[in-house]
Amino acid sequence: MKTSFFDIENWREIGATLARNKTRTFLTAFGIFWGTAMLAMLFGGAQGFEGVMRRNFAGFSTNLGAAIANQRTEPYKGFNKGTYWQMTTRDIALIRQMAPAMEYSTEMNQRSGTVAFGSKTKAASIAGVEGDYGNIMIPVMMEGRFLNHSDVSSERKVAVIGKNVATSLFGSDPAVGKYVSVDGIYFLVVGVATQLSDASIGMRIDDGVVLPSSTMKRAYNLGENVGFFVYTAPQGHSPAENEAVIRRVLSSAHSISPDDRKAIEFVDISEQFEMIDNLFLGISILALFVGFGSLMAGVIGVGNIMWIVVKERTQEFGIRRAIGAKPLDITVQVLSESIMLTLVAGSLGVCFGALVLGIADKLTYDPLLGHAGFELSFRVAVIIVLLFFILGSLAGTIPALRAMKIKPIEALNDK
Amino acid sequence: MNYELDEAVISLRDINKTYPGVVPLHVLKDISLDIRKGELVSIMGASGSGKSTLLNILGILDNYDSGSYTLDGVLIKDLSENRAAELRNRMIGFVFQSFNLINYKNALENVALPLFYQGVGRRKRNALAMEQLERMGLADRAHHLPGELSGGQKQRVAIARALVTKPSLILADEPTGALDSKTSKEVMQVFRDLNDTGMTIVIVTHDPGVGAATDRIIRIVDGRIENNDQLSIIND
Repeated sequence: MKTSFFDIENWREIGATLARNKTRTFLTAFGIFWGTAMLAMLFGGAQGFEGVMRRNFAGFSTNLGAAIANQRTEPYKGFNKGTYWQMTTRDIALIRQMAPAMEYSTEMNQRSGTVAFGSKTKAASIAGVEGDYGNIMIPVMMEGRFLNHSDVSSERKVAVIGKNVATSLFGSDPAVGKYVSVDGIYFLVVGVATQLSDASIGMRIDDGVVLPSSTMKRAYNLGENVGFFVYTAPQGHSPAENEAVIRRVLSSAHSISPDDRKAIEFVDISEQFEMIDNLFLGISILALFVGFGSLMAGVIGVGNIMWIVVKERTQEFGIRRAIGAKPLDITVQVLSESIMLTLVAGSLGVCFGALVLGIADKLTYDPLLGHAGFELSFRVAVIIVLLFFILGSLAGTIPALRAMKIKPIEALNDK
Repeated sequence: MNYELDEAVISLRDINKTYPGVVPLHVLKDISLDIRKGELVSIMGASGSGKSTLLNILGILDNYDSGSYTLDGVLIKDLSENRAAELRNRMIGFVFQSFNLINYKNALENVALPLFYQGVGRRKRNALAMEQLERMGLADRAHHLPGELSGGQKQRVAIARALVTKPSLILADEPTGALDSKTSKEVMQVFRDLNDTGMTIVIVTHDPGVGAATDRIIRIVDGRIENNDQLSIIND
């Protein structure tokens, strides 16, 4: 004997029963609809929010460490408290040699200056960097190229200018191939750059001029001096793994007390990002918690309504039992109703959630930064509907089992 | 009389039934009874006499404590819920006082419902249901909901539903209890006509008029059969 679940009569009957109590069906379905929509929106929304936040750091290495020279805060080996010391190229070479977890690194010098082209001038930040800088900051090239190792080793008089500097000096004309004066010294513009991220090291590229560090040291007569040192740790390593080596090299080379932690300022950006990651994790957990709560509220609503349905239809189930329905037929009937309700309303809820996320993604789209990630993957959508389907079925199971246990004679006498 | 003397559709032997409680209630006491194929029998008794309990046992809706009950050769004892449902579906047609039609299904769907539980396909069960409705003179009411039918029509739909699986037995519980006297007579005529085709029918009633319209009256008093006038009827 075939099961009544697949008989069209069963499904017509479900449609008819649901249609008989339109308000109740609507409200129950709305609970499920909203539960799935909330779960979908919170899940995709948390992802999108994270995407929006992460876009602020796009093109900026998050596994970044830096060492900066500060005043001594403790007297040591004849140097008084408050005296300055200067990091040098030799220190950097030694650190690179000894550091256990370093991927890209660059020395940096930075100062304010004036850039001029013809009669046009602009105040700008001037930075001298090595070739790896492009792997740490990852600028977006609007014209030309970024500086490379060869520019640095050959001490080329080339410059990459920021987008805003280029606009001020050249308007809409191309800048690459032209010479600009940086504090009176001419440099060939090889690129115009901008940055995606709101985060920056020392200056925003948009408002600056980037020179090869070797050329800048010669141009500004800086000798071997280095303003600060920036590096990234390889995947799976922390910038802090290099801190001990950096401190040892710098403190021994410059007579700094090993206990003077402020004289060598060590910055580990990854810690900040780890906090941000934890914040996102917290938001995701909260979103899942709230979403799951909404889902549970919907599921309990289904269970509650199915319970009422069973109570209301006890006599009908008695009639059905009297004319030949088996207990399983009644269970299937009750379960089919809850499954139908959860599947239809749940699918609509997920579609609605996906639609809202799609709109949010469109609104936050940035031509340079791309999509924020307000989206619901098909896999997640299916998981949500399946989860609701399983929980909805479970919620319907208790009333369905109750319906199954109704004795026909008791049901027939039920008024 | 159409029944065949040697063919008992229902055979009860020493049936006892007690409802447990603080004071157990012994409602059926040593009931022995044969109802033969083609009989039109009424079971009568005062309220609380045990006639409804007897009907429930006959309809496999309730169990009995001791004795034996054979329905069309099948021993009805300690059946699983599924087996009981299957036997009810195939062997018994129920007619209730309050019709017990499903109010959101039309007459055709109500009549076809027992076939649905047999797994009969939709087209075939609708055809068989329509056949029974035609037999009851209700073909033009096939697509009407119970709420759109008169009491007599509802009961005829209920009878059509009882007949659709071609059962061995029709059990009717106060089938005219909710009807006026004219309609009651019409319904009883339907039962008589069915009986004339060889259908075995058992009617539980407290209406002497209904009882009088049957071939045999079994009176239950205080859980016992007072007059088992089977022999006299057979002799008659």
